[in-house]
Amino acid sequence: MAFSFPRHRPDFWTWITISIVAVLCILLILPILRVLTLGFIDPDTGSLTLDNFIEVFTRNYYLNGLKNTLFVGALGTLGACLIGIPLAFFTTRFLITGKTLISTLAILVLVSPPFISAYAWIMMMGSNGVITNFFGGIGINIPTIYGAHGIILVFSLKFFPFIFLMTQTALTAVNKSFEDAAENLGCSPWQRFVKVTLPLVFPAVSTGAIICFVLSIADFGTPAILGRGFRTLSTIALSAYRSELGGPPTMAVTVSILMMAISMIALVAQRRILANRRYASSLTNLPVAVKLSGWKNAAVHFFSHGIVFLAMLPSAVVVYTSFLKTKGPVFVGGFGLESYDRIWRDAPDAIYNSFLFAIIAVTFITITSGLISYVIVRRDTKAAAAIDFLMMVPYLVPGVVMAIGFVTVFRNGMPNFFGPAFLLVMIYYIRRLPYGVRSTTSSLRQIKPSLEEAAVNLGATPLGAFVKITVPLIFPGIVVGALMGFITAINELSSTLILYDAGTITMPVKVYLAVLDGEFGLAAALSTILLLSTGACVYAVFRFAENRNSAFI
Amino acid sequence: MASVEISGLRKLYGDVVALSDISISIPSGTFYTLLGPSGCGKTTLLRTIAGFHQQSAGQIAVDGSSIEHLPAHQRDVAMVFQDYAVFPHLSVRDNVAFGLKQRRIPAKEITRQVEEVLEVVELGKFVDRMPHELSGGQQQRVGLARAIVVRPKVLLMDEPLSNLDARLRVDLRAELRRIQRDLGITTIYVTHDQEEALAMSDVVCVMEGGIIQQAATPLDVYLRPSNRFVASFVGANNFLQVGNFKGECVLKCCGSSVSQHLPAGPVVCALRPEDISVKVDEDPSSLLNTEISIPVQIKEVSFIGREMEIFATTDNGEAIKAVGRSDSKVIALPVDSRAWFCVERQNLSFFRDSELGERV
Repeated sequence: MAFSFPRHRPDFWTWITISIVAVLCILLILPILRVLTLGFIDPDTGSLTLDNFIEVFTRNYYLNGLKNTLFVGALGTLGACLIGIPLAFFTTRFLITGKTLISTLAILVLVSPPFISAYAWIMMMGSNGVITNFFGGIGINIPTIYGAHGIILVFSLKFFPFIFLMTQTALTAVNKSFEDAAENLGCSPWQRFVKVTLPLVFPAVSTGAIICFVLSIADFGTPAILGRGFRTLSTIALSAYRSELGGPPTMAVTVSILMMAISMIALVAQRRILANRRYASSLTNLPVAVKLSGWKNAAVHFFSHGIVFLAMLPSAVVVYTSFLKTKGPVFVGGFGLESYDRIWRDAPDAIYNSFLFAIIAVTFITITSGLISYVIVRRDTKAAAAIDFLMMVPYLVPGVVMAIGFVTVFRNGMPNFFGPAFLLVMIYYIRRLPYGVRSTTSSLRQIKPSLEEAAVNLGATPLGAFVKITVPLIFPGIVVGALMGFITAINELSSTLILYDAGTITMPVKVYLAVLDGEFGLAAALSTILLLSTGACVYAVFRFAENRNSAFI
Repeated sequence: MASVEISGLRKLYGDVVALSDISISIPSGTFYTLLGPSGCGKTTLLRTIAGFHQQSAGQIAVDGSSIEHLPAHQRDVAMVFQDYAVFPHLSVRDNVAFGLKQRRIPAKEITRQVEEVLEVVELGKFVDRMPHELSGGQQQRVGLARAIVVRPKVLLMDEPLSNLDARLRVDLRAELRRIQRDLGITTIYVTHDQEEALAMSDVVCVMEGGIIQQAATPLDVYLRPSNRFVASFVGANNFLQVGNFKGECVLKCCGSSVSQHLPAGPVVCALRPEDISVKVDEDPSSLLNTEISIPVQIKEVSFIGREMEIFATTDNGEAIKAVGRSDSKVIALPVDSRAWFCVERQNLSFFRDSELGERV
């Protein structure tokens, strides 16, 4: 028996469970299965074959892409760890002035789209960047941001908040007695950190690292903007898809399978490592932050604030640039609102589409995530466990891959039935649904089931009890989930690039195209609007979330 | 007001039997208590009646009409929860009105009934409070008011007092019973607290292993437990081995003859600690023939105020406990000194020597 439903009468929640499974089958499982099968089919003969994989693993074009992806992914993650772990340690173990500001900025970095910081770095350190030109002016040729090192820099500064926030949470929960015991047994502070503290927070660090790695593999915007000939699997998948338009996207799909496989292997490896490391700890003796003095204090403050400053710098540059006076694509000196003027003329549809698609998708997410959470938390069936597992899948499937799956399922044979707008809303929905579900699930876990039972006992139908009792009680979780869904949906680039057409362009796509065209002013103004809406949502999350940090990771 | 008839009720979780062939009959207006240790199936039975669990087999009838096929919200059996389950986002008034609104009663009538029932549970002044402004005892009164205001056919209570402190528990116990009597509402009450069960119930139903061990009046359950489990679970009890000596049944520890007619097979003799009187220096041979005396070695005497507890061992090493009014002579006994535990023969009862061994 695949699903163990209650044997006697299928009740309201059984029907909901069936509907959820059906939706997930169509929007999630089907596209992924389609991608998986297409990779094993010969595009010309239609027969089963391994040739596509042989091609990927023998041709340098693909092999280099694979190597590059792993290289920037691994080093980007390493960089994020080297930034995030010390930052977490400093902010929890030492008294740092402006600690809340650091966390807030880290969260802002976390939610702002990576392609914006990629192109902001071009404006600073590109061939014609401010910093490049400054050093060029005094006769020093510094390397430009283009290439692997630039991508690694952007990844490190973009993804470190995952490591930082998760490690910080773990560090505040480590029983101080462990560290005291280590010191008592003769460890120096550094030995204590390496031998006791770090292993204790390793589960959190590794979870953060795996998120960084998966996001680095999936990221399209950064290598596309900074790559200049340095190709990763995500950019290769997109160009393969473009060159295969009209036929089956066999090579795009084969590369996609490779990307999914890497994410999966990384996740499984992390689970394996973590399986034997569960540290239950009674929180009798909470760690305390000590006040440093002298140069140590200065150094720790300089590092902590310096890092978030550096990470926020791209956003600041973007906002600053948007107010520069331009003439066409050229900055002519001084300040002006020409860039915003151009948005109203050139890209009102991008703004309109972005908000429209994101709002519709988030509306669906809001309605369904409460129901899905209820099934996951309250129903002890195999189907509920399967749904819980499936909610992890969208995190692991890169946007490019998901979009190619959508195209192969929904455009195959019925070209005009599902329009691009419909597909974009659906892909935002399925890819951002886990944010909503995770948030409502954690709210729901704190609600005693007896409350719903009491309502049913007093005569409310299962749906009535859900609407009158459950929804009001998990409302903050629903709002936070919706806001997180909105932030991530409105900033979506990679899958939109595959699915959009002239009438359904969005702000991230417009920014991406403007950057490729060298229209930095226009890109900056649009990015500023994106950053503002993102910032407003973050502010709202802060207002609604019980624990502000955990809402984002 | 309604009678409840449960017949052949079974509940399986995979291979685990949670309820095994439960058949009980509860007359209208009865306060019926399900008593047993945790995991005995009492809460499962209550929740199956409420419709939160689906039975594997059997019928549940209220006033002659079967309800086991109805979804929980159509059963008209109101429940009071162990953790109160007072809706935290609704005021006291809205909590109590919840069930009435479901029944589409006119607003004016709801207001009247809510205020009336809140007077009954002595919460009249708290009608516009939010639950977090109430103490645990007050929240449970809201839970009770919310359940009885809909005038259910049956009231179900799942350990409603177990989250309250000891003093409040005793007060609320009396109040629950008073309200139940006044309303004459058929009540099924789940508890693991035997004192609560004995004090409140018309009928106590002792459960273990998903099986009903005994259903009888509190006095019967206490004085005439139907098997060894009931004898040990309800009130304290000492169990001493009984052997056969020259055709007579005797206590193995002291050779006292206890009965002529016991069936074959191992049997134990049960004697309640409070039925034992401790003799320190009297000659046990002077005892009346209606008593037996058991020589023991004192292990510990603990003085707990109103009474004292004497822990001792018999001559073949069985632990035995007596409870009695504090007596300075006994309290002064040194460890390992000899004494005699005396019990009237009519206070002895006998069970087959197994966990659920029946009364003989």
